[in-house]
Amino acid sequence: MKDPTAALRLRQTQNADGGWGYFPGKQSWLEPTFYAAIALHGEPAADHAWELLKSWQAADGGWRPSADVQVPSWGTSLCVTLAQSRGELGAPFQKGVQWLLSSKEAELALWKRLLFRTRLFGEPDRNLDLMGWPWKPGQVSWVEPNTHAIVALKQAAPKVSSPRLRERIRMGEAELLDVRCADGGWNYGSHRALQVDLVAFPETTGLALIGLQGCPDLEKSLALATRMAGETTSPLARAWLTIALRLHGEEVPPSTVEITSSPEIMIAALNIIAEEKPEFFRTGGTT
Amino acid sequence: MSPNRREFLAVAGASVFAGYAGFAGATPAHRGPRKPSSVSVIKAKSYSDDLVSRILDGVKQCGLDVRGQRVLLKPNLVEFDPKTCINTDVSVVAASLEAFHSLGAAEVKIGEGPGHRRDTYSIAEMTRYRSEIPKFDALFTDLNRDDVSPIQGFADRGEIYLPNTALRADLIVSLAKMKTHHWAGATLSMKNFFGLVPGSVYGWPKNELHQIGIDESIVELNRIFHRTFAIVDGIVGMEGNGPIQGTPKQVGVLVMGSDLPAVDATCCRIMGIDPTRIEYLTMASERSLGAIEEAHIEQRGETIKSVRTPFELIAKFKELRQIS
Repeated sequence: MKDPTAALRLRQTQNADGGWGYFPGKQSWLEPTFYAAIALHGEPAADHAWELLKSWQAADGGWRPSADVQVPSWGTSLCVTLAQSRGELGAPFQKGVQWLLSSKEAELALWKRLLFRTRLFGEPDRNLDLMGWPWKPGQVSWVEPNTHAIVALKQAAPKVSSPRLRERIRMGEAELLDVRCADGGWNYGSHRALQVDLVAFPETTGLALIGLQGCPDLEKSLALATRMAGETTSPLARAWLTIALRLHGEEVPPSTVEITSSPEIMIAALNIIAEEKPEFFRTGGTT
Repeated sequence: MSPNRREFLAVAGASVFAGYAGFAGATPAHRGPRKPSSVSVIKAKSYSDDLVSRILDGVKQCGLDVRGQRVLLKPNLVEFDPKTCINTDVSVVAASLEAFHSLGAAEVKIGEGPGHRRDTYSIAEMTRYRSEIPKFDALFTDLNRDDVSPIQGFADRGEIYLPNTALRADLIVSLAKMKTHHWAGATLSMKNFFGLVPGSVYGWPKNELHQIGIDESIVELNRIFHRTFAIVDGIVGMEGNGPIQGTPKQVGVLVMGSDLPAVDATCCRIMGIDPTRIEYLTMASERSLGAIEEAHIEQRGETIKSVRTPFELIAKFKELRQIS
């Protein structure tokens, strides 16, 4: 649903440093700042936000999640996407892409894969030969950070000459497909835990479909996403599903339930993006 | 766990202890010789019982004084499935809020950082927290998105970022759910502290804690957050493939105490689980965070025997079953 006052509220809650907190009056974080900057794209507030975010990039190209937290994170994908949307393809963008390409997840350790191949611990719940992106380096991959990295790198593909980039995108997409639940949607990580099927969640189903733009055999997933979009009470899930369905050329059904109110700035910004600017997450087909 | 790992953890723990110089709200636990820990087991057959009175009885039996303190209630709010009972029931949270206010706490707030789902307020809505707890939004802090501070030394990591709301509380009340857990065996008041770790830094779920080791992370969080009290919602617990996909189990108790390992050990005995076979409980005991041996726990209220309700355990945890 379009909220005519949402953009005004975003402008009013911008912190003096140019960023946004997850909630009004709180310290600036990368995530809400990214989404607000997209929602207010073209305005001075968005320029101010980008200046702040650029100052949070580390020498190795990774972005930390806030001014004070010295932990490289999935926010790097968001900043690479934001840089491209602004047409800024200089050093921050290039270093961010390289950071994503060098980012690894934990389960790729050879000894772990060999151990699982013995089947001593039963069947692994996912294909350990695939490699997506974790929330922070050294962890296992999850649907959300994997999706954001895929989107950032798919958008970067025409601008960066790197066979490795295309291979990482392919692996990331394959991993998303590997963890798809039996019903066609996505849980937040795997599709099974200890060989027991997990249920799909609406927000991660929307996210995964954004990462899989251009991939074949998504009919069942899109049908589920359409149903979820009408039934979810979560404004976050509704926003991600709306973006996904629009990017896939599908109709977004009206809500059949009351959407929960949320004080979160990130969700307010994401709603604006879903209603007005889903194209920011357009990646075109698979590479 | 192999002796080598134990040795490693001992060394890591010592270095962590030595390196700790962090936030004023988190000092390392070192409790020395202990008198028996009081754990109160109070019967409550349903959520429509007078839970405020039950909680006040338990708090009194444990000798807790909260006058003038800033209290943070930390429920177990994970995700919602109408077919089972994943979360601390809203009635227990609402009753705790009222009880701690009546006991003279200067402030009583609610904080949680759900481990799986990102839309915290939507989960709070589905679990009826927002509709049944008066002024919930004003009282609640989403710990996944709170402002944070670094704490030096956490297991083998140099530091961990933790939410300021939790670090500044004088007392954190772990409002846990009595559940089995398919990785840790049981999830009770100590494991509930995973929700104190911010998703904004570590993601959803807090995979960092799994990389470090679930047991080690539970113990470390309880070392840092040691000004605590526990109220475990065992009115209806979860057995089988917990903490998400298990089935409801009627037990009809609230288990309370200031010594969280003692509370959890008591819950395990009620669930028919041998607490000395739960790794994080033995680690907590070895590191003097609390008592888990029956001889070191002063049981108040109901006896364990009178409320013992063995939980179904998944195959990998059958060996946790307490025989007697």
